[in-house]
Amino acid sequence: MAGPLLEVQDLRTVFRTKHGDVKAVDGVSFEISPGETLGIVGESGSGKSVTALSVMRLQRPGKILSGKVLFQGRDLTKVSEGEMREIRGQDIAMIFQDPMTSMNPVFRTGWQVAEPVRLHKGLDRTSAMAVAVSMLGKVGIPGPATRARDYPHQFSGGMRQRAMIAMGLTTTPKVLIADEPTTALDVTIQAQILELLRQVNRDFGTATILITHNLGVVAGMCERVMVMYAGRVVESGPTVDVFAHPKHPYTWSLLRSIPRLDAERHEPLKPIDGLPPDLIDLPSGCAFHPRCQFKVERCSRDTPLLNRVGETQLAACWVTQSGVELKGA
Amino acid sequence: MPEGARLKRAWTTADPLVSVRGLKTWFPVSSGVLQRTVAHVRAVDGVDLDIKKGETLGLVGESGCGKSTLGRTIIRLIDPTAGTIEFMGEDISRQHGTEMRLHRRDMAMIFQDPYASLDPRQTVGDIVGEPLDIHRIARGKERQDRIYELLKVVGMNPRFADRYPHEFSGGQRQRIGIARALAVGPSFIVCDEPISALDVSIQAQIINLLENLQAKFDLTYLFIAHDLSVVKHIANRVAVMYLGKIVEVAPGGQLYRRPRHPYTGSLLSAIPIPDPLIERNRERVILQGDVASPVNPPSGCHFRTRCPRAKPHCAEEEPPLESFGDEHLAACFYPLD
Amino acid sequence: MLGQTPAGEIDLPRSAFEGEASRPAQSYWNESWERLRANRIGMAAGVLLLILAAISLAAPLFTLFLTHYEPARLDLLTTFQPPGHPHLLGTDELGRDTLTRLIYGGRVTLGVAFLTVAISLTLGSSVGLVAGFYGGWIDDILMRFVDMVLAIPAIFLFILMSILFRPTPVTLAAIIASVGWGGVARLVRGEVLSVKQRDFIMATRSIGARDLRLITRHLLPNVLPVLIVAASLGVGQIILIEAALDFLGLGIQPPTASWGNMLTNSESYFFHSVWLVIFPGVTIFVTVLASNIFGNAIRDAFDPRLKTTH
Repeated sequence: MAGPLLEVQDLRTVFRTKHGDVKAVDGVSFEISPGETLGIVGESGSGKSVTALSVMRLQRPGKILSGKVLFQGRDLTKVSEGEMREIRGQDIAMIFQDPMTSMNPVFRTGWQVAEPVRLHKGLDRTSAMAVAVSMLGKVGIPGPATRARDYPHQFSGGMRQRAMIAMGLTTTPKVLIADEPTTALDVTIQAQILELLRQVNRDFGTATILITHNLGVVAGMCERVMVMYAGRVVESGPTVDVFAHPKHPYTWSLLRSIPRLDAERHEPLKPIDGLPPDLIDLPSGCAFHPRCQFKVERCSRDTPLLNRVGETQLAACWVTQSGVELKGA
Repeated sequence: MPEGARLKRAWTTADPLVSVRGLKTWFPVSSGVLQRTVAHVRAVDGVDLDIKKGETLGLVGESGCGKSTLGRTIIRLIDPTAGTIEFMGEDISRQHGTEMRLHRRDMAMIFQDPYASLDPRQTVGDIVGEPLDIHRIARGKERQDRIYELLKVVGMNPRFADRYPHEFSGGQRQRIGIARALAVGPSFIVCDEPISALDVSIQAQIINLLENLQAKFDLTYLFIAHDLSVVKHIANRVAVMYLGKIVEVAPGGQLYRRPRHPYTGSLLSAIPIPDPLIERNRERVILQGDVASPVNPPSGCHFRTRCPRAKPHCAEEEPPLESFGDEHLAACFYPLD
Repeated sequence: MLGQTPAGEIDLPRSAFEGEASRPAQSYWNESWERLRANRIGMAAGVLLLILAAISLAAPLFTLFLTHYEPARLDLLTTFQPPGHPHLLGTDELGRDTLTRLIYGGRVTLGVAFLTVAISLTLGSSVGLVAGFYGGWIDDILMRFVDMVLAIPAIFLFILMSILFRPTPVTLAAIIASVGWGGVARLVRGEVLSVKQRDFIMATRSIGARDLRLITRHLLPNVLPVLIVAASLGVGQIILIEAALDFLGLGIQPPTASWGNMLTNSESYFFHSVWLVIFPGVTIFVTVLASNIFGNAIRDAFDPRLKTTH
């Protein structure tokens, strides 16, 4: 079937606090096609996690104010909780950053991995466990039948994350959302898990949304990338293009500020000046303008819209939309 | 010659500032009703290391390798189980109390978690001024001036001295922690993962700050991190640790271009580079299995259970750190070419 | 060295001087107080407790101006008066004015409660701080001792006490505290163990702080919230214990009035003059309720998880 599998249109999610409304997701739109890998990149406070949670309708205590999440012909923001429960874990699966806290410590791992198929496909205990054990083996856990009887704390971090991935895959979902799946892991284990995710994407054809703050991870994993800042999408496009010629000053500055393994020592880093914005009290116009070295007068007045810049990329920047190339010392 | 005299050799700046030999830090594991010690966590399991005055020595490794413990042992926040630590020629590995406190003015530490490393009940000014109080360096107006100076030097507005840590962001808190470390006027600072908990766009600010401060105050850093990209950038030499032992030491560029130890090789190939074309075409050496436990490390070379090049000999004997020319040391019987 | 730094040479980011300047400095205590104030019910409970304490303290003034009676004043001609005039809450079997006795009784009951809490907290937190901070064999010995104290069957101790002597409010407070401090010690030790792990303790050690400084300036202020919560909840608990003891005849003996023994007296007259039971009963209930509500409000005020700033 042609066309996108999941389409998010102008999503807005807010958290009401006593100091004001935190606009965690402030008009986010994107889509993902079957089998595709999309990376959502941003720092803390960018809204990337809340976006994913909103898609899954797990954003409480936040509130989805407006927007649509179209999946298989339905708007997920409007379906009932019961219908959403069917979709969660079965059609759209999510794995989280810290497998230690996202797994229940008092239940055996195999039981937990089998839970989605028990719930959604109605399998009995034995069949569900067989599916779980088989999936644990597929994600690279040695001796899966024995390990299934272990509790989460008996697994190492990497193995636990594999178990979580297994749990997400047992129902062969169409979309897998991975929220910072390797941030808490060592680098060599991270490489293993990323390789596993790549393999899963190839073998099962699951569309994968990878949320991370690590630009290197995105470069290695995702065909397309979406950069978020202060609850908005500031740039998106094919990964190769966005990294080669970023069209938003935030992306551009970020790429220049991170130390690279293959860089010659010693060019001083060029940090992004300033602090991440206060989501309750966003700057007027473009949220990035106080920290931007390319800004013009318009940037502090009008909020830029996401528009085509260059052949394949979208960027929300007045400066680049008017044809200026991002270059710097 | 009496014992005390022997411990303090004549030391010049040509000698290493910090010199560690055979350092071991083992933590007992007790079990059973009577709480007997049944085993030891061998966090640091025989480390030799020199840190030269004015340099930044990077220390990398994954979780459980003992790098934090090594840093804390060198600065004597943890007592070593065996081995020696020489600071400016003086063996401080067994010193306590007043003796040790004198050295505390020469060494300081910056911590990883900016949210936990500052006492939430103290004002920023008091946090930065506490070292001045403890060592009676300054009082009254002079103390106030020093605090202001310190805050300015790390890039914080001195007006914030009467505010509390929770009012600041992670990056700003880390600056406060750095100001506190500078307060006693140390010559040696152990930086224990100082930027891991910060946002990517702030990390570069703090890295630059640390480099500036090093130049300004002639500081020597032991920079501990798990991110080799950062360490390679900031450090002169990099030491790689695995399960309590140092497996390779080399200048940063050299380590990247020509690693000798198989672990270093796999570590380098695992680190993602923010360049999709490079990433797609990389040859990856993906290690199997998990890191072994520091309670019961493998015999001989600790890395052999995961090493793609391991031979039977590796289980029998522990490889010593050998020179591969030009300040490059590696502990492996079958190194990479 | 540091003193010779010329200003303006370091490359300072603009950002360091922006922001954070609008609101005044807010210490942790200020923030907690703000949160407490926002909790209307909690504040009401706290104010109520304050009023009760004030009335008890100023008991003689009240009786002088309000009720014109002494608590021990008998009047066998006006026994079992229902609430009305001039005895606002009626009289008991010996003609004593209930309201006056309630006020003086509050002195005894609240006095015992506050004193017990004070002793328990002082003793318990000292032991807890030392045990938690030093760990090792000091911790083992102290905690085994605490275990023994906690294992003492309190009721037998109280019976023994009442056989040996007539407890005054002060001695009663001391006895109750002697079995109660164990819980506080455990609580404080637990809190110390968790605070001790936090990086700032190790950071302060790294700049050369001695143990005493760490305990008094860094551990204690961070452990204080737990103590405050324990204190406010403890007051309610002790009131109930004291009332129970009096009821069993083991605590304050008549003719000294306490809320507990007012209930004892009135037990026999339940069907006859039920107000003699209601007034002390309700007073105890309301006070304990207020103490619990206030204690919870304080806990919520201190709990960092409810922080809405940064």
